[in-house]
Amino acid sequence: MTLQADAPVAVPDADPEAAQAAIEHCYAQDWSDGLPLVPATRTLVDRFLATVDRQPDEVIGTLPHLNRSVTLELAAINAAMAGCRPEYFPVVLAAWEAIQRDRSATGGGWQSTSGPSPLLVVNGPVRRELGFNAAGGAFGPGFRPNMTIARAIGLMVRNALGVVPHGFEQATQGLPGRWQVCLAENEEESPWEPLAVEGGVPAGTSAVSGMLTRTVEYVDNRHTADPEQLLADFADTISRSGAAIFRHHPAGIVFCPEHAQLLAGAGMSKADVRAWLVERCGRSKADLARVGKDGVGDNGVRFADGGTDPGAFDRLFATDGPEALPILVAGARNAGISMVVRVFSGWSASSVPVVGRTTPSTPVGAAQ
Amino acid sequence: MATLADILDPTGRATARIGATARAPRRTGLTGVRLGLLENTKHNAALLLDELAALLQSEHGASATVLRRTKTAFALPLPEETLAELVGECDVVLTGVGDCGSCSASAVADGIALERAGVPAAVICSDAFTATASGMAEVQGAPGYAYLTTAHPVAILDADAVRERARQLLPQVVATVTDASAQRVAS
Repeated sequence: MTLQADAPVAVPDADPEAAQAAIEHCYAQDWSDGLPLVPATRTLVDRFLATVDRQPDEVIGTLPHLNRSVTLELAAINAAMAGCRPEYFPVVLAAWEAIQRDRSATGGGWQSTSGPSPLLVVNGPVRRELGFNAAGGAFGPGFRPNMTIARAIGLMVRNALGVVPHGFEQATQGLPGRWQVCLAENEEESPWEPLAVEGGVPAGTSAVSGMLTRTVEYVDNRHTADPEQLLADFADTISRSGAAIFRHHPAGIVFCPEHAQLLAGAGMSKADVRAWLVERCGRSKADLARVGKDGVGDNGVRFADGGTDPGAFDRLFATDGPEALPILVAGARNAGISMVVRVFSGWSASSVPVVGRTTPSTPVGAAQ
Repeated sequence: MATLADILDPTGRATARIGATARAPRRTGLTGVRLGLLENTKHNAALLLDELAALLQSEHGASATVLRRTKTAFALPLPEETLAELVGECDVVLTGVGDCGSCSASAVADGIALERAGVPAAVICSDAFTATASGMAEVQGAPGYAYLTTAHPVAILDADAVRERARQLLPQVVATVTDASAQRVAS
């Protein structure tokens, strides 16, 4: 996917040393996630706000217990600082709303020791309009919209909601790729309906889906053409005991095109794949007892019981729907390498349409 | 030409709240007081609070009437109706265990809310979460709010170890919710 041909950059009077000083100023204010920020000025932020027909003081998220809120204006400032172009802003807002629909995002998740990270998924024509990468290296880095839109969400949490590492952000270790994963679904090479369709948005409409995640783990299987052997490999990774803290937990799969096409070629829909995995994912009580997690308390939290029936089997998934096991397709068609996603508390199964102008108002590459 | 002063602030930070005093009036002793226990579902929280209540009854004369409430949304401040119930039926409330990133902060928020509603509270957090607990006290306009800490971790302790923790915490709990602590904090 390519963006419009770049116009020549015409900034004869730009002062690199002034830019460096501005970047240092942003660091000094403690606004940065550790990487350089684009200094946001009124002129630049107004270009962001001009892409949508909404009021700058509209509140789009709050953490009442921290006395903080996010307005459209603050979203635009943080998106600009993250390195977004103005025409990304409608996608930033859809991504933010999609993440707000994850119950953890408003339920203390940003403060969690597990340090969850949003996984954003973009569907529809906006992928091509803005030049998202949906193919090789889908998890990044390398592509501006994928990287900066994910980063914008992180800066909004840090700056506007005030959840800062070592302060209200209490991640024990966090995870690689936090605030960096914005996938574009490879709809062109997927045999299945786009994720946003399962999230209630018609195919062909630009939309963003979002969920909090704890990490991703690859399944490299270039070894079999048997769909059940392939799915058994996924079941093994999904059923890892370290991820089991409650009676049930969700998981997602970002299939590479090769794996998805193999399964679809065997006649399996997404629902079939889910049903196969829901039936088989989980661990025996004996396995769980070995790691001190065989018991399940009234509140659903596992504990070391030791007296459970070793032959019993604890199924991992609570349901067989997309909220417990979201499935999408991204990446290149060059190998059988897919990713299991550790979903934090489930997908809302509610995708958000992108509303606004997602084309540049000035030639790409011109001074913003 | 723009200057550094023209760079927009991405925080929208509200000016610090000047909160009402976060300290309810204290009794000199605990004889006959009705205890409220607000446990947050964290493993061992209910046991720790129960052990403390038993010690307050057997050694300090607290009433046998105990209101036990569970905070299911442990990451967030307690619901208004639970707050009203605790305020209406208890003379002293114990809450905890602030043993995670969000619940440590919310436990402090609960303690401050109880104090402002006139009920002395003892908030117990793991000592790994003082940054977020103290941060919440500032957000609530009560910097320096005195919560109690116990060594991290709490969740993996066995029942005997939890009882030992309760024993260790008892003098601090008593000092926090009675008049004696007023002298201590003021000094």
